[in-house]
Amino acid sequence: MEIVYLLVPLSVVLALLIIGIFAWALKSGQFEDLEREGQRIFEDRASGPIDPDQD
Amino acid sequence: MDAERAAREAAALDDEAELARYTRFVARPDGRQQACSQLVLDGIHCAACAGIIEQAVRQVPGVEQVSVQAASRRAQVWWDPAATRASTVVQAIEHAGYRAFPDSAIDQREQDRRESRRGLWRLFVAGFCMMQVMMYATPTYVSTPQDIGLDVLRMLQWASWLLSLPVVLFAATPFYAGAWRAIRQRRIGMDVPVALGIIVTFVASSGATFATLSGGQASVWGREVYFDSLTMFVAFLLAGRALEARARRQATQALDGVLHRLPQSVERLTTGGSERISPVRLRVGDEVRIAAGQAFPADGRLLDGPTEVDEALLTGEARPVPRQAGDAVLAGSFNLSSAVRMRVERLGEQTQYQRIVWLMQQAMAERPSWVRLADRIAGPFLWAVLLLAVGAGAVWWFIEPTRAVWVAVAVLIVTCPCALSLAAPSAMVAAAGALARRGVLVQRFDALEALARADAVVFDKTGTLTDDRLRLVGIDAPAGRQAAMLARAASLAAHSRHPLSLALHAACPQPAPAAWRDIREVPGSGIEARDEAGRLWRLGAQRWAEQGGPTPAEPGSSAPEARVWLACEGQRQAGFHIDETLRPDAIHAVSELQALGLDVSLLSGDVTSRVEDMARQLGLAPGHWQAHARPQDKLDAVARAQAGGRTVVVVGDGINDAPVLSRADVSFAMGHGAALAQSRADFIVLGSRPGDVVAAWHLARRTMRIVRQNLAWAAVYNAASVPLALVGWLPPWLAGLGMALSSLLVVGNAVRLARAADAPDPPLPSSSSISAAQVAPG
Repeated sequence: MEIVYLLVPLSVVLALLIIGIFAWALKSGQFEDLEREGQRIFEDRASGPIDPDQD
Repeated sequence: MDAERAAREAAALDDEAELARYTRFVARPDGRQQACSQLVLDGIHCAACAGIIEQAVRQVPGVEQVSVQAASRRAQVWWDPAATRASTVVQAIEHAGYRAFPDSAIDQREQDRRESRRGLWRLFVAGFCMMQVMMYATPTYVSTPQDIGLDVLRMLQWASWLLSLPVVLFAATPFYAGAWRAIRQRRIGMDVPVALGIIVTFVASSGATFATLSGGQASVWGREVYFDSLTMFVAFLLAGRALEARARRQATQALDGVLHRLPQSVERLTTGGSERISPVRLRVGDEVRIAAGQAFPADGRLLDGPTEVDEALLTGEARPVPRQAGDAVLAGSFNLSSAVRMRVERLGEQTQYQRIVWLMQQAMAERPSWVRLADRIAGPFLWAVLLLAVGAGAVWWFIEPTRAVWVAVAVLIVTCPCALSLAAPSAMVAAAGALARRGVLVQRFDALEALARADAVVFDKTGTLTDDRLRLVGIDAPAGRQAAMLARAASLAAHSRHPLSLALHAACPQPAPAAWRDIREVPGSGIEARDEAGRLWRLGAQRWAEQGGPTPAEPGSSAPEARVWLACEGQRQAGFHIDETLRPDAIHAVSELQALGLDVSLLSGDVTSRVEDMARQLGLAPGHWQAHARPQDKLDAVARAQAGGRTVVVVGDGINDAPVLSRADVSFAMGHGAALAQSRADFIVLGSRPGDVVAAWHLARRTMRIVRQNLAWAAVYNAASVPLALVGWLPPWLAGLGMALSSLLVVGNAVRLARAADAPDPPLPSSSSISAAQVAPG
C-alpha cells in the first residue's frame, strides 16, 4: 500500500500537466475548426502548417 | 481600456459611414428621426442577462425602446438621434458588465471564436478535474473504514481539494461574474444560486478537510467532503452551456451566412483608372467593376454583359439567372460567369438585400412572450428559493446542526431555474434556425405558437399558388396550321431565354430543326431571324412583330396572361396565349393540408372561370373558393372565419395582400425581393414554395410539443426535488446531477428540432429544392 503515497501525488502532477498540454493545444488553435481538418485532404493546395489566426 | 482608446472607439462608432452599417434611420409620423441600431452582445449567459441589459439601456436618456435576444446575443435599440448617440448606448451596456459591438461581420466572427475557445477551455478544466477528483473519491465510497488507512484518506482529500481549486477558481468564474452582475443590478439571475451553491459547497468541504486533517472531530462543516459532486456540478453546468451555445451557433449560422454577403471592398472605375474602396463609400451613379465570383455591392444596372447571376438568397431561385447589359442586378447576389461593369442605383438600406437583412435581424432580436414570461417569474421564484434554503437551514440547525448547511446547499442547487428558463427559447431558436435553412424566415416567434393551433388556411392565387413560369394555353391560328406554327415559333424561341420564349419552348420541346440566320433578340420586343428563304420572321409583341415599331411598355412576363405573336414579313401568322402555371408543389401542399384536417380555401381577385379551373385542379370543393374578391372581401372572409372561432393562416404575396395578411392570425408571404422586404408577414417564404407552409406547420406543431415537454419536465423536476431537499433526503451531489441533467435534457430536446428539419419529411416534395442560405457559394 505504500506505493499509494507515490501514486496519488503523481496523479495530481500528471493531471495538472495534461491540463497544461491542452491549454497549449487550445491556444495554438487546434480546436478552432474541427470539420475543416477532416476536409483538408480534399484541398488542392499542398501546404505546410497553416496559421490558425489567418482566416 | 485607457480613456483615449475608449474615446477613439466611441468616435468610430458614431462615424457616419460606420453608423450606417449597423443603424437604420426612419422618419416618424411627427417628422422626427428615429434610429434603430443592431448590436452584438458579449457575456450573455442566460435569459436573465437580457433583462439586465434592457434595463441598463433603457435608463439612457433618448433611448425609446430596446429589445435583447439572449439566444442569438443581439440587441435592437431604438433611439432619438437628437438626444443621444450610439456610443452612449454601447457604453451603458459596457457599464452594466457586458460588451457590445456593432452587428457587422468581423467583430462577430472574432468574438465567436474567442467565446467558443474560452468555453471549451473552461469545460475541459472542469471535466478533467472532475474525472480525477471522482477517482480520488471512489475509494471512500467502495471501501469499508477498515480497508483504508486514515493517512491515505487524508491524502485523497488533499488531492481532491487541490484539483478542485482550478474548477472553483477558474472554470466556475462565469457563474460568479453573472451573479455579481445580477447583484449589482439588484436583480436575481439564475447565476446567483449557482454561484452561492458552488462557494458554499467548496467552503464547507474545505472546512471538513482541514478540520479532519488537524485532527479535530466533526466540526460544523461535517466530516464529509463533496469535491466530487462540486466539480461534477460545475462540469455539467458548463457542458449544458456549451451545448446551448452550440445550438445557438447552429441556429444562427444559416442567418449569419446571409448577413455577411456584401464584398468587403469594391473596385470603383474613375476617369482613366480604378480604385479600391469600401462599399460604404459608394455613391449612386458610380461605376463599379465586379469580377466573376464576386457579390454585387449595390442594386444597379449592368453596363456590359452577358453574365450569369446567382440570386438564390434574394429570390430563392436556385439556378443561375442570365443577365444582359441594361438588366437590373441586386446587391448580395453573385456574379458567376464573367467580369462586368455596373452602375450603382440604390445603396445601403435602399437595397433589397439590406431590407431582407433587417428583416432577419429583427426576427433574431424578437423575444417571444414565453421568454418574457420566464424572465418575469425568475425573480420571485428565486427569492422564494433563497427563503426556502435559509428557512430549511435554520430549521435543520435545531434538528441536526451538522446537516443544516448541506440541506440549504441542496435546496439552492436543486431549484436553479436553468431548465425552466431554457425551455421555450431553446426550442424556438432551434425551430427558427431549421426553418431558415429551408428558406423560411420567422419574423415573429409567437407566430409559431399560433401556427401550431391553426385550423384554416386561406390562399391567394396569383403569385402565391402560381409562379412566374408561364405555360402555353391556346393558339390563335387557322385550324390545321397550329402545330406547324407552334413548331416554328418554338424553334425560334429556343434561341432566347425570355420567360415567354421558355414557355413556348416548353410547349414544343423538340421542334423541327430550322436553319435560322441573322438571329437577333430585341430587348422588350421579341426575337427575329431569317429562314432558309431569307424571309424575316418575328416572334414577340404584337406591334413590333407586325410593324417593326418599338413597343412601349410591354406588359412582360409578370402579367397573368400575355400574348406572343408570330409574324412573317409583317404578316401575322399565329398568336399564342400564355398563362401562369401552378407552382409545382401547390396541389400536393393543398391536399396535404386538407389531409391534416385544415380547412383550405382560395380567395382570388381573378375572374370566375380561371379561379374555378384552378380550384378544380387543387381539389377544392365549391364554397372553398371565391373569385372577384376585392381586398375588402378577403378581409371579411378572414374575419368571418375568425368569428367562427377559427385560427386563420393567410398565405399571400407580400405586397398585394398586406391588409389581409395583417388581419390573419398567422401570415405567410411569398414573393421576391422588395415585395418580401416590405411585408409585415409572420413568416417569409423565400423559395415561394407552398410546400414550405406545410413544413412550417409541422415544425410549429413539433416546436410547441417540445416547449410543453420542456416546461412540464422542469416543473415536475422542481416539484419532486424541492421537498426531497427540504427533508434532507437529497444529497448535494444528487441535486447537482439532477439539475445539470435536466438542463441538458431540455436543450437536447430542443436541438432535436434543428436536426429533424435537416432530414426531409416524407410528405414534402419541396424539400429537394436547395434552401436559400445554403447555396451561397464561397
